[in-house]
Amino acid sequence: MIKITNLEKYYKTEEVKTIALNKLSFEVKEGEFAAIMGPSGCGKSTLLNILGMLDDPDGGSYLFNGIEVANFNERKRANLRKHNIGFVFQSFNLIDELTVFENVELPLIYTGVKPADRKARVDEVLEKMQIMHRRKHFPQQLSGGQQQRVAVARAVVNNPKVILADEPTGNLDSSNGNEVMDLLTELNEAGTTIIMVTHSEHDAKFSHRIIRMLDGQKVTENVLV
Amino acid sequence: MIRNYFKIAWRSLIKEKTFAGINIVGLSVAFASAVLLGMYSIYELSYDNFHQSDRIYQSYSTYEVPSGRQILVSQPIPFAEALKQEVPGIEQIARYNAGSEVIISEGKQFRFSVAFTDPHFFKIFDFPVSRGDSEALGKPNEIALTQETAQTIFGKEEAVGKTISMQLDGEEKPFLVTSVLKNIPQNSSLGFDIAADFTQQSSSAYRDLKDDWGHANHEVYIKLEPGVSVANFEKASRAFSNSHNQGFIEQMKKEGVSPDENGQFIQERLLPLKDIHLAKEKDGMLMADRLFPNLLLGIAILIIFIASVNFINMSIARNFQRIREIGMRKTLGAGKGQLFFQFWGESLLVFLFSALLGLGIARLLLKEFQSLFRTSASLDMIITPQGVLFLLLIVLLVSLIAGGYPAFSASRIETISALKGRLSRDGNNQLRDTLIVFQFAIAILLISGTVVLYSQLEYLQNKDLGFNKQEVISIPMNGKKEDARVIQQLRNELGKTPGIESITAANGVLGLGLDGGRSSSAMSFQFEGRTVETNLLMVEYDYPETIGLELVAGRSFDRSRPADSLAVIINENMAQQLNQEKIIGTPLQMDDTGAEKFTVIGVVKDYNFQDLDQAIEPISLFLKPHWNMRYIYVKVRNANSAAILKTIEKAWKKIEPEAEFQGSYLNENIDRILKREKNMITMITSGSIVAITLSCMGLFAMSLIVAAQRKKEIGIRKVVGAGIGTVTMLLTRDFVKLVLVAFVIATPVAWYFSSEWLQNYPYRVSLSLWMFLAAGLIALIIAVFTISFKTIHAAVQNPVKSLKTE
Repeated sequence: MIKITNLEKYYKTEEVKTIALNKLSFEVKEGEFAAIMGPSGCGKSTLLNILGMLDDPDGGSYLFNGIEVANFNERKRANLRKHNIGFVFQSFNLIDELTVFENVELPLIYTGVKPADRKARVDEVLEKMQIMHRRKHFPQQLSGGQQQRVAVARAVVNNPKVILADEPTGNLDSSNGNEVMDLLTELNEAGTTIIMVTHSEHDAKFSHRIIRMLDGQKVTENVLV
Repeated sequence: MIRNYFKIAWRSLIKEKTFAGINIVGLSVAFASAVLLGMYSIYELSYDNFHQSDRIYQSYSTYEVPSGRQILVSQPIPFAEALKQEVPGIEQIARYNAGSEVIISEGKQFRFSVAFTDPHFFKIFDFPVSRGDSEALGKPNEIALTQETAQTIFGKEEAVGKTISMQLDGEEKPFLVTSVLKNIPQNSSLGFDIAADFTQQSSSAYRDLKDDWGHANHEVYIKLEPGVSVANFEKASRAFSNSHNQGFIEQMKKEGVSPDENGQFIQERLLPLKDIHLAKEKDGMLMADRLFPNLLLGIAILIIFIASVNFINMSIARNFQRIREIGMRKTLGAGKGQLFFQFWGESLLVFLFSALLGLGIARLLLKEFQSLFRTSASLDMIITPQGVLFLLLIVLLVSLIAGGYPAFSASRIETISALKGRLSRDGNNQLRDTLIVFQFAIAILLISGTVVLYSQLEYLQNKDLGFNKQEVISIPMNGKKEDARVIQQLRNELGKTPGIESITAANGVLGLGLDGGRSSSAMSFQFEGRTVETNLLMVEYDYPETIGLELVAGRSFDRSRPADSLAVIINENMAQQLNQEKIIGTPLQMDDTGAEKFTVIGVVKDYNFQDLDQAIEPISLFLKPHWNMRYIYVKVRNANSAAILKTIEKAWKKIEPEAEFQGSYLNENIDRILKREKNMITMITSGSIVAITLSCMGLFAMSLIVAAQRKKEIGIRKVVGAGIGTVTMLLTRDFVKLVLVAFVIATPVAWYFSSEWLQNYPYRVSLSLWMFLAAGLIALIIAVFTISFKTIHAAVQNPVKSLKTE
């Protein structure tokens, strides 16, 4: 599903060049649940941005579903992204002015789904995430766990092939965190590929494989299953 | 998708009440001001546009004389007919002489404005007939009334077929009403209640002058044939001018006057009908002076600009607050176009709402506006299908510019930075500062304009005009009694009244009386082989004493000297023209026949008998007690006393019970001629108040945003020892700098425009730096006061609080 080879990314300021990713290579197969771990500043988030096609690499290859996307322009990346990738963020990133329903509906609007189909699809996902009763609420009216469930609902509403989760439980207490991890596991079991960046060893154990990084490079790779 | 945009737009508005409020209030006030100013301006520019033809002109002539070029819009009676016969290219021509006349119908007496004109007048102009004969003024004894006049005279009865009388040459002359005209539109420069045949005027205006080429007393309107240009007509008229004015031309040649660039001493010229309302003399020609309406349109645009700047600045600032939303939308697949339209849609919503609100405010303020500016301009002129479409386009355009940039910058934000809530502010801050500078520059420009205008008006109002403004009352003689009798009766009635010093009369008014009428006459005559020009005024005994003219030589008219009927009193300027060593006793041969020889018996100090934007010209006062006097003058003892005015009115009512008493003090008359200046002051003052208020609203919003943005910095500064004063200064300093830059930009511009404008006045204040410094200082004080609310609030905050939230 995802194969990166010798992926490089630098950040340059006037005087300093910082290497964020240093010839990084690995592969994540379809249906896999991979966790990426490492200390702050090791390049995890940079990697996730590139995998999510929010950013482009400075070198190396990135094959998504067999297509080379490393040199895609922004428009092509955006197009591929909105149909194939769902995001879950540590800080939920829900839009405060939209209700739960409308937040989840947003990706469908941008992919041009008709209103009637949108409603059916959103209702189905909200049902599945058990937040149907909160559909008319605004994000500020929900608990952190509920907000993250909405974020997950929004990430999966388009039936993406891959979900990229960046510290999905970072802002949650342990019970809410576990609920979110269970959700991700369920999605994975239903066939969605998941790549999750986390600091939490506990969360990482939900995955099939842990890739550990340091200074932009892969250090170890542990298969858990 | 669009529903989604509007939904989120509406919810963001609700969420950001302060900013939405400032924007909506600011924009709607701006739109309301722009609508009112624009309406006034369009009205001024719309004069006479209801006439279909664009081939209509007013005829006027320019004369090259020893003192330069003279413009005359009045023509002699034989002129029109001769011009039509001798100069090709004229389709129709009509003479026009409007004045106030007494009308009598079934024993009731009225005073109406009567236009004496030729039947062709109605073929040239579009003044449609509503009832009766469609060809108005078919016969000399027929007249046409406007609907309003017909209603005033006859009420609900049919006017057509009725006979009314007009007081002419001391007799009641009957006329048959054959047509009722639709009311004359407000924006018509030709206004009258009744139209009558040109030949039916009083003898002194028509019969006596029928073949006189030397006496001009009416206007002439011309409709050119299709395809004839003004230049061609003017060229073709030269032979005509030369053949009818040989004597004058010879005389000018003899006096060494140079002809114009085409070798002409007299040139017939045409002023387009649509320019008449705004016509002003410029470079020896008449042309439309559109400064005032254009100035107003300019102010309207500037006000919209100021409100839009607030909108742009606040929208950009709000982009920072919505940065994660922008990031998330991009992550979820929103394209740049979609984001642009979302943000622009939000702007459009605010603009449309504000425009509607603005229109509502304008409607509410319309009555006050109309009475404040004494205008008949109304919103009906704007609220037409084309007008609404135009307004909508303007709103769209402004929202595209003002809402477009923030929307564009939002759509360009990088996704990852946006998701992290990071955004470089440098570029946007520069734009913000530049816009604020322009905003304040405009405000300072308008404030300085107000200061300069006000100083000039003050100067004109307080200027010594050379006569007694406060203690003299002018009364238009609008009754049907003979003038000399009215004057005598009033003297008898009021002669012994305490508080009244003297009573006199003249055939001209100083300033503008309550009757709104003005007239002037001038002539030129030969004096020692030179042509001398003078204004003429026919006066009664005691005129110089009553209005307070200062005699610098000789004496005034004396009842005990019968020879004074051929005496003349002149002003200093006239004396200079005559250039005599001993001016008193100088004989003046003022007509060609030599029948009457006048003698100068006195010289009065120059006084402003014309508009205050004109230099004082020569004038000669003739003692003509039995002339057709138009105004009575009463000198009272106490300045501007209302009680004495009442006493005079009582006496007047006894003498002329049917005629309205329209007495007013001369200083009020002077104020009336300063209407244009006063209107300008009110408009520019209102414009500056709106401009500075809107600018400050924007500044206030910016201070809120800056204080929020620099919260952490303020916290840290306070932790390391900064006091409240230092922090307040820190936040204020940046804004003060902007106002100072605005002052530096605005002052030279304001100076330039003010001095250009003042050139219109021979009597004017001299510009001084304090006028501009005052404007800058006003802007600065208001700005500092506005932002002090937030800066002081931010400075007194507990730093722990601001650091904790970071």
